[in-house]
Amino acid sequence: MMRLPWRRRVALWAGNLCAIAFLLLPFVPVVLGSLQSEKSIQQDTRALLPGDYTLANFRLILSGGRSKGPIFEQVSYLPKSVERFPSAFFNSLLVGSAVTFGALIAASLSAYALARLRLRWTQALLQASVISRMVPLVVLMVPLYVLFRRYNLLNSLAGVIVAEVGLLLPYAVLILVPYFAALPPDLEDAARIDGCTRWQAFLRVVLPLSAPGLAACGVILFILSWHELLVPLILVSRPELMTVPVVLAGLVSDYFVFFTLMMAICLLGLLPTLVLVLTLQKFVVRGLVSGALKG
Amino acid sequence: MREGELSKGRLALLLNLPALAGLLLILAYPIAFAGYLSLHTVSIRQLRSGELPFAGLANFARLSEDPLFWLALRHTLVFVAASVVLEMVIGLAIALVISDERVWLSRLTRVLILIPWAVPPVVNGLLWSFIVNAQFGYLNRALYKLGLLSDYVNWLGHPWLAMATVVAAYVWRTTPFNILLYHAALQGIPAQVYEAAAVDGASPGQSLRLITLPLLRPVVAVTLILRTTFSFMVFDEILAITQGGPGNDTWVAAWYTYRRAFQPPFDIGLGAASAWVLAVMVGLAALVYVRLVYRRVEYA
Repeated sequence: MMRLPWRRRVALWAGNLCAIAFLLLPFVPVVLGSLQSEKSIQQDTRALLPGDYTLANFRLILSGGRSKGPIFEQVSYLPKSVERFPSAFFNSLLVGSAVTFGALIAASLSAYALARLRLRWTQALLQASVISRMVPLVVLMVPLYVLFRRYNLLNSLAGVIVAEVGLLLPYAVLILVPYFAALPPDLEDAARIDGCTRWQAFLRVVLPLSAPGLAACGVILFILSWHELLVPLILVSRPELMTVPVVLAGLVSDYFVFFTLMMAICLLGLLPTLVLVLTLQKFVVRGLVSGALKG
Repeated sequence: MREGELSKGRLALLLNLPALAGLLLILAYPIAFAGYLSLHTVSIRQLRSGELPFAGLANFARLSEDPLFWLALRHTLVFVAASVVLEMVIGLAIALVISDERVWLSRLTRVLILIPWAVPPVVNGLLWSFIVNAQFGYLNRALYKLGLLSDYVNWLGHPWLAMATVVAAYVWRTTPFNILLYHAALQGIPAQVYEAAAVDGASPGQSLRLITLPLLRPVVAVTLILRTTFSFMVFDEILAITQGGPGNDTWVAAWYTYRRAFQPPFDIGLGAASAWVLAVMVGLAALVYVRLVYRRVEYA
């Protein structure tokens, strides 16, 4: 490889520094905000660094509003989102896991058929998946609300799970098809010569070999479900069934906004998907590229 | 074929049953049902009684007479144009600076790319609503410390600044997806292509313009389609940052549909009509892009 001229090297370093600033800078005020008291942030509105650091915001949220400590002792009004956060976190975990498994099972069966058993109608189905990814969610929410209301599926986590599985399914298929298509057909043929049926070859040969693809698809599904606001916002109104995005959206309509508390609750709400993206980055990257470019 | 084994066609049908059921029940049927709702009078009262009186095109007529609907459409077009252009330009710029393996720092940048993508959209909105807050926000603090502002600005109190804030927040979260795709495409271009160009005397600017950009055309088309369709539906950031304000200056199409259908007066028929208009616009945008931009590029 050719050596890089020093001018280009300097330009690329500067470019990378700008890119890192673009990606990370918005987190700085958020972290600073979450680590101070509301009093400190209101006292000096010109200061960049807080006068005192405290973990009181996090303690309050993680205890569901019970552990008030000296800072929140005098506060008579706390946003409802604080006490709802722990149960919402659990609901989001439940919905996210169920959606991931449900969509993964249905999508892997379908994607295998689309990639391997090429028929005219399966190819049409693949195109339908591409198109249905582009349907605006808001278009679906109006009829889904009326239908779910009619069949008494409102205010149930099962309803939210069914809706999200259906909405994410086409995307999951698009991510998985390239993985199945890339496996050498010889392996399956060998299994079939050894006496496996197509179904057995799929279960024992194709699925284990495509574990990286399933992992990529699964982690993306979980993240998208964790991020989903509109579906649970419209299908659920009972506080004990709300997911994290719905509870956080509740902060918007609060009369008194505690910004420090809001930033702490935001950091806790984004932590799970941030950890997933950083630890399983390789899978997320491949899954996103595969779902967008090869589907 | 083995005895007792299903034929290819039957197995394919069986394997696709769950996905087909999902597509029909959660996608196809609701879309058709939205069309049905848009032709009927549907509000809380009708939902309770279960009888939906036929209304013909009355919902669409009311839609076309609602100035707020046209305002929301205009804002949506502004939002889509601004966000898609920024996502592509910033995405391409970052993809280009991280693609050179010889710069050590680019390895760190590559690890960080997806961080904004990991942030839930509604959380992203809340973060930015704090950042730009007029009294306590850190944007004002930082600009004041740098001497760029003499007094604090109420970013969300001004029509254009509020729209710019929503665009900035949205672009920050969604650009990583573009960076990722451009980066993947850049890695697919063999280094020999650039070396040959350099031997022939091409400047870095020329090889960018004459080699890189043309080869990126298919992936640029894909991101154009995906990002356009998704930014037509922007909702979470609007809800968390401006709620359509100041006044009605950041009402967009999805926000219009949500407010009309799911907040008083719960005019679901009107919401379904505006949802249909939105779907047609997205469909047209996708069609135009596919026709205009998508061409396969092959290099030996």
